[in-house]
Amino acid sequence: MTNLNVVGKSVLRQDAYEKVVGGKGFPVNVSLPGMLHGKMLRSPYPHARILSIDTSRAEMLPGVKAVMTPKDVPQIIFNPIFFMPADSVAIHRDMLILSDTVRFAGQPVAAVAATTAAIAEQALSLIDVEYEELPAVFDPEEAMKEGAPEIHAGVKNNIRATPSFGAGDVEQGFKEADYVFEGTYETQRVHTCYMEPRVCVSDTDSSGHITIYSSIAHLFGLRERLAYALGLPVSKVTAIQAPYTGGSFGSKLDLAYIEALSALLSAKTKKPVRMEHTRYEDFICNARHPMKVHLKTGVKKDGTMTARYASTLCDTSAYSAHGPEVIMVHAYFGLMLGYRAPHTKWEGTVVYTNNMPGGAFRGYGAPQAAFAVESQIDEICEKLGFDPIEFRLKNTPRQGDPHPFNPEWKLGGYALDQCLHKGAERMGWANRAKAGSASGTKKRGIGMAAHPIWVSGCVGFPDIYEHSGAIIRLNVDGTAYLSSATMDIGSGQNTTLCQIAAEELGLKFESVRMAPGNTDNLPFDAPTHASRVTYSSGNAVKVAAADAKKNLLEVAATVMEANVADLEVRDGMISVKGAPAKAMSVADVVKRAESPFMVVGAQGPTPTTLKEKGTIMGISSVAPPANASPAVAEFVEVEVDTETGQVKVLRAVYAHDLGRVVNPAAAQGQVEGGLQQGIGYALMEEMLFAPETGACLTSDFLDYKMPTAVEMPSKIECIFIESNEPTGPYGAKSLSEACLIVPAPAIANAIYNAIGVRFHSLPITPEKILAALGKL
Amino acid sequence: MKQLISLEVNGDTHEIAVEADATLLSVLRDNLGLIGTKRGCDSGGCGCCTVHVDGKAMYSCMMYALSAQGRKITTIEGLGSEEKIDPLQDAFVKEGAVQCGYCTCGMIMTAKQLLHDNPHPDEDAIRHGIAGNLCRCTGYHKIVEAIKTAAGN
Amino acid sequence: MALVKLKEFCIPDKPEQVDACVAKYGDNALILAGGSFIHGLEARGLLSEVEALVDIRKLGFAGVTFSSEGLRIGAMTTFAQLEQLPELGSAPWLGALKDALTYPPMQIKNAATVGGCLAAACPFFDIPTALMALDCRLSVSKAGAKREMNLADLFAGLFENSLAPGELIMEAKLAKPAGRAASAFIKLEGTANDLAIVNAAAYISLDGSGKCQAARVTLGGGVGDNVVRSSSAEQVLLGQKLTEELLQRAADAVGQDIQPMADHRASAAYRLAMAKVFTKRALSQALSRLN
Repeated sequence: MTNLNVVGKSVLRQDAYEKVVGGKGFPVNVSLPGMLHGKMLRSPYPHARILSIDTSRAEMLPGVKAVMTPKDVPQIIFNPIFFMPADSVAIHRDMLILSDTVRFAGQPVAAVAATTAAIAEQALSLIDVEYEELPAVFDPEEAMKEGAPEIHAGVKNNIRATPSFGAGDVEQGFKEADYVFEGTYETQRVHTCYMEPRVCVSDTDSSGHITIYSSIAHLFGLRERLAYALGLPVSKVTAIQAPYTGGSFGSKLDLAYIEALSALLSAKTKKPVRMEHTRYEDFICNARHPMKVHLKTGVKKDGTMTARYASTLCDTSAYSAHGPEVIMVHAYFGLMLGYRAPHTKWEGTVVYTNNMPGGAFRGYGAPQAAFAVESQIDEICEKLGFDPIEFRLKNTPRQGDPHPFNPEWKLGGYALDQCLHKGAERMGWANRAKAGSASGTKKRGIGMAAHPIWVSGCVGFPDIYEHSGAIIRLNVDGTAYLSSATMDIGSGQNTTLCQIAAEELGLKFESVRMAPGNTDNLPFDAPTHASRVTYSSGNAVKVAAADAKKNLLEVAATVMEANVADLEVRDGMISVKGAPAKAMSVADVVKRAESPFMVVGAQGPTPTTLKEKGTIMGISSVAPPANASPAVAEFVEVEVDTETGQVKVLRAVYAHDLGRVVNPAAAQGQVEGGLQQGIGYALMEEMLFAPETGACLTSDFLDYKMPTAVEMPSKIECIFIESNEPTGPYGAKSLSEACLIVPAPAIANAIYNAIGVRFHSLPITPEKILAALGKL
Repeated sequence: MKQLISLEVNGDTHEIAVEADATLLSVLRDNLGLIGTKRGCDSGGCGCCTVHVDGKAMYSCMMYALSAQGRKITTIEGLGSEEKIDPLQDAFVKEGAVQCGYCTCGMIMTAKQLLHDNPHPDEDAIRHGIAGNLCRCTGYHKIVEAIKTAAGN
Repeated sequence: MALVKLKEFCIPDKPEQVDACVAKYGDNALILAGGSFIHGLEARGLLSEVEALVDIRKLGFAGVTFSSEGLRIGAMTTFAQLEQLPELGSAPWLGALKDALTYPPMQIKNAATVGGCLAAACPFFDIPTALMALDCRLSVSKAGAKREMNLADLFAGLFENSLAPGELIMEAKLAKPAGRAASAFIKLEGTANDLAIVNAAAYISLDGSGKCQAARVTLGGGVGDNVVRSSSAEQVLLGQKLTEELLQRAADAVGQDIQPMADHRASAAYRLAMAKVFTKRALSQALSRLN
């Protein structure tokens, strides 16, 4: 692979200096003159009808400027997901901004705008709501039974969707197998725990045009979904791009109640209205869908899979939202595509319950799947004596194969084999001991998990937006501004895109700057999700940069009296290939292009030519050419204290084929952060609710345990394989979600290796371990 | 009913009107415009609100503004000088310890006291030292490296 | 915030001002020391009846003195200040206190006071378990009238102390034991920033022949409304030479004295099992400090 100048270097993030001294750009800091503050009243009941709401006492509280109840909101039923068209037939619309029917404990039933947040909060206690409590159901299997409370009118047995797909004949396939393995694997509800709360400020002008600032991961999605829910054309809503936001991990990919309500309150009061979640409100905003997967695999003596059957029960909670989408990504890219068999079948059930809403979380259904698949592969290999690396390689695609999802794509750069072999070697996989053979009360073990097929965006998925645009403008000082509606949620999107732009333009990294905009002046971009920014938005940035460069070189050719084809740009200098002395700076060329028609010099006025005139820009709006698959494997060493059940993760080796590393330090950061989330997912995190009332018991960081620095291993090694993906910008494809798809099964398999006990549900808490060891 | 109090923050004295139960965090952000100190949970669980009170790292969400009277408050804005940022801040940038950045200021304030008390902490001491600060982006790995780097200088 | 009925925030210079405030608001006046526990309660909406906060920081009584008689800890001493005491590292009998101080995060140690921690009567805290094992005595005072009590008598139920309204803890005292003694404390937590699922402290002292002449085994976390002292465990140890097997028997005996609770953190069965494991570990650690 060719060495590049900017791409491939661990350049420092441009916003890092700003963040270490305070971080002005976070949406939580937005404040507008005359701003009011909004608060929501939330239902204590998980399932109820509102019989009446009396807001008269609240309205009389000095400082209260507006109160909103279900009768005050547009009666437009919507689905909150940002990244699909609001009127898509692939998703279900079943939410109102405020509804007379409460379907989860904590659902907002009213909102107040007041001069201070404290007054708004006080006003909530002055709103009298008469509820008719309805029976509630929290277990999806219970929810499907006859007689279960109906959560959405007309949805029989609360079953929202029953998708399925397959090929061949699984029954036949199991007959052909020498061995059949079957198991049920369950995963829990976990929260993204982004640190910056959901927060927004909505402002309305005299024409009713809404401007909104919000902590979100999809700028255009906010515009579209807010406009839809309010019954407005998209041109009446402007979403302002924050220079960066404080984390998302998927949670900020759908319309929050605060965004719709702040807009309505702003329209009503004719003032800006700010609404910020408390941490409790963030916890109950959305969560990863808990799933129960039944997986059956038939294998031959030679280790090839003959048949794979899986069924998934997905609790989509009170509203459909992401559920029917998550289950499809889970089924295809989580369960079924990675490992091949001639006979396959998958069946899914998406069920409503009165639980808090489900949302998007890094991996979008794949972590739930990988836990099942990789645990079962471990079981198969243990039982039959197969080498886990070779077994995986026997049943997964290879470089050059057609992509299992769409045969028109090829796995152009694909190095799962290297991930497995190099990771294994670095971990000392060959030396691992027999499961459960360790002596002493603290037992160590090594486990692994792989994920053969994942995504670099959403090309090929029905009804999911996947195009990006960028505008690059060159400045008279030789710098370039990049405008892209990509949201930087912390993974370094801004930096990655500037690196790609700089590389393509031939500028130094420091010369390219992200210039935030808004939905009025930016081209569309899909969200920061699906691990797509480098591959998809990066592709658009590269195209725009190439366009800008072409325009730059055309002006330069005129000025330097050379041929465009003979010019090259390096570190901000344009020179004729082979004659570096005859160079002109980008700055001077741009200056020339931006200079007045008549330039006054020492010799008097000189006209510049039309051909050189104008702002030098590049523009793009493109979809990426394919959906390149990364490959990943993770190896983990754990130590289990068999007296307490506590598990310590000692070491992790993570091997990932990402085509090309754009920024090594940033890439490591993704792996390290993904491991923190993975350790939490595997060992400790779980959203818990009171069984009768559905009230959330884990709505602060005291009760919702996620790893601190002490729970993390000090040894995290990253092996980045650069297979040079032909369809990706500079050969790059995706990284980020895979970092959270593999840790939990690797840890579960390591625990098995340590103590010889396998767990079929997450989290694997100390108590579960002790119980399984027969000590409780 | 608001009270008029005087608070010393980063060497400056401010007179502000506050409600009795206003927290130091809310006063720093909303009254004084010092937005480097962040609200992450408002319940002493995440550390984003960490400031120094008389040189000691504390959760500003867990201190009433009225209790902060007569004490020297230092926020992230009070670190470093006009010419240079604090070595910790510099190390965080250079080691890639800043991703979304929301936990960063609180983390730096905690690390600042850690290095003051223990100028050359081993890794275990660093990890325990920042156990009161949560991060969801970085896995803490480069944060620990940044603190080691700052300690080495 | 959630202090909807708050009318007054008093910052007394003199103890009499405390009494005046409390006289006005009775049970709805809350004494504020470090503030970490109070904010936790507030965040959970448990302080909606509070009408007055009384910040007692200006009253002083912070500071630690160590003498041949033992340790005197001013109630307003923060955990961080207490941790600075050099003798904590060199006096094995104070091991439990030293251990307990290693657990809280920096921000809590800097704010939390010993007096506030004890008065909270929260079984999930660590310092009370450790101090109970060290036979802590308290000086309390109201309106100039002082009295002494055993720490155990401070606790009157879950989050309830036995102090009269306006009565303040002034000092916690730990008497230096004669002869060979050591203590240890250990905590089971979900992460490094957590309340105790269970915790255990052990104090043992040996006579001239190496037999156990005094033992105190205390447990906290979710094993009772307040810190529990396990006399069953202590009875196993008294008068005996301390072998591994004996320590295990003592640890197993704690089950007779505790009432483990079930919550979203852990089941009662797990807490029971861990109470034994952690008691054994605390005893072993204390024993190792004796040698």
